[in-house]
Amino acid sequence: MELLGHLFAGFQIVFQPMNLFLCFLGVLMGTLVGVLPGLGPVTAMSLLLPTTFAMSPVQAIIMLAGIYYGAMYGGSTTSILVNIPGESASVVTCLDGYQMARNGRAGAALGISAFGSFIAGTLGIIGLMLVAPPLAAMALQFGPPEYFSLVVMGLTILTFLASGPMWKSLLMAAFGLFLSCIGMELISAKARFTFDIVELSDGVGLVPLVMGLFGISEVMLNIEQSAERTIFESKIKNLLPTLGDWRASIPPILRGSFMGFFLGVLPGGGTVISSFASYAIEKKLSKYPEKFGTGVIEGVAGPESANNAATSGCFIPLLSLGVPTTGTMALLLGTLIMHGVQPGPMLVNEHPDIFWGTVASMYVGNVMLLVLNLPLIGLWVKLLKVPYAILFPLILLFCLIGAFSLNNSVVDIFFVAFFGLVGYLLRKFRYEAAPLVLAFVLGPLMEVNLRQSLLMSDGSPFIFFTRPISGVLISVAVVLLVFPLIPGLKKKPEIAEIGDMM
Amino acid sequence: MNNDQLSSAVWFSLGLAVCLLSVQYRLGVPAKPSAGFMPFLAGAGMCLCSLAGFVHATLRRKRGEGWRAMFAGLKWQRAFLVFGSLVAYGLLLKTLGFLLCTTLFIAFQLKAFSPYRWPAVIGGAVLTAVVSYVVFEIWLKGQLPQGFWGI
Repeated sequence: MELLGHLFAGFQIVFQPMNLFLCFLGVLMGTLVGVLPGLGPVTAMSLLLPTTFAMSPVQAIIMLAGIYYGAMYGGSTTSILVNIPGESASVVTCLDGYQMARNGRAGAALGISAFGSFIAGTLGIIGLMLVAPPLAAMALQFGPPEYFSLVVMGLTILTFLASGPMWKSLLMAAFGLFLSCIGMELISAKARFTFDIVELSDGVGLVPLVMGLFGISEVMLNIEQSAERTIFESKIKNLLPTLGDWRASIPPILRGSFMGFFLGVLPGGGTVISSFASYAIEKKLSKYPEKFGTGVIEGVAGPESANNAATSGCFIPLLSLGVPTTGTMALLLGTLIMHGVQPGPMLVNEHPDIFWGTVASMYVGNVMLLVLNLPLIGLWVKLLKVPYAILFPLILLFCLIGAFSLNNSVVDIFFVAFFGLVGYLLRKFRYEAAPLVLAFVLGPLMEVNLRQSLLMSDGSPFIFFTRPISGVLISVAVVLLVFPLIPGLKKKPEIAEIGDMM
Repeated sequence: MNNDQLSSAVWFSLGLAVCLLSVQYRLGVPAKPSAGFMPFLAGAGMCLCSLAGFVHATLRRKRGEGWRAMFAGLKWQRAFLVFGSLVAYGLLLKTLGFLLCTTLFIAFQLKAFSPYRWPAVIGGAVLTAVVSYVVFEIWLKGQLPQGFWGI
């Protein structure tokens, strides 16, 4: 009953005209950046971050969260119609979505993707509402060793699940930790690795780092290829799935929702892994696994539901522990801190308007997305016909303005360019940037808690193993690190298998 | 040599440099770590992982895995042109101001990578610069550089 009371208060906040407008703007922008390849939710959120300074914290988070989950809806459109994922969580939707479109079933693929996303999004929000407050209460018992072990576990999970050899992922995480050490040190305020560059005393900015590694490097990789993308041309009809489609899709939607939600909660889990894992499970459970990849509706319904449920799951560690699990969540954390709000176990009690306002806005945003997406598919298709030669200068310009606007400094433009080149070379040499970004975000939290823990234990590292919660978390990390070294145990075969198919 | 041998050697050098630079910030003792402690751990981690990667890549090299061409059949010069144009934008932004610098930047991107004619390039560049100026400077109240000619 108390829960419903809080939720009702949340809806009162969302239904204020300005908040409703910002929610709408967020989901519309999110769908747009989800549709356009090369412009992801992180870039869009970074661009709009400076505009939130004039808003209240709850308004800022309503709009930015809308961009995040809106992008998950929009991303499937390009996967299905162009075979190019609008954002990384929709990569797996290309496999069957595009084949469905080629078989004349684009409408059904787009329709089930939208409905599946809506159902999963709604279930995910219910999960967020039920799980976050008790977790926040439990997190009040967390001390520095628990926080350190949680961060280590998150990084280990991400490196374990990342594609490619584990040494590459761990290397990226170590590099991310190093980057997070640049600038003024948190405990003694000593400048590290600044090389007399004043702008580095605040450290490397998350926004230039993410824009460079993902936005600019994507443009650089696309521009060196001459292939033109082909857009699905025939008229899209029958957006409402048939009864048979529903029968085939409901179990994958439910499985995808639950799996996506729980993978989203795990540090390092996120939307991409959820969609891949859902596809792998659906293929394994299917009576006709050999048909996957030829246009099977379960291959669209499961992953699209999983990535939307994961967006809700991702909010749990952020709002209840103050620990961002992805780069996007780190941006939201940064936004809240800029507005004078510290996410963490006290947030639910001290700022119930932010927590419940966000939860309620996600319900409303999901309804808006469903209403928006189906009728506007024709418009999104037209947008996709904009040649890349026109699109990419705009993406570059958005990144440059976004980087400059943060501190009104051209140095951030150089950072964007530098990290763009780094991201380009990393991708050429097949290194994944995700562990780098997560380690960069979690680095300061890790350092402070490591040093405090060692101070508490007089230098003994056993403190991480002797305290129960910390012991469990660090043991999971150790097991995951040792697992690939055991002969005969192959690392994440299903995800690797799907990666090979792409 | 294969790609991973080269990249892991580069990473090892970088990790080693991080370790050496960290020492100047003082590492402290386990009971009281100092400012250099965490970056030293990160650098050591980079060295260890790259060493493991080098061994792994060398074993693969012995099994016949050679250099994988990363730029073959691609117009890779374009990627570096994009990088160069970003750096140039950063260098010229304060001097030329947002409007002129953005016009030149967009015109370069449109002309260098696509077969658009000059009128379309100039029209598109000016339009983009003006619209973004109106949105970011006037509507969103940003503080874009004005340059020597005041806008």
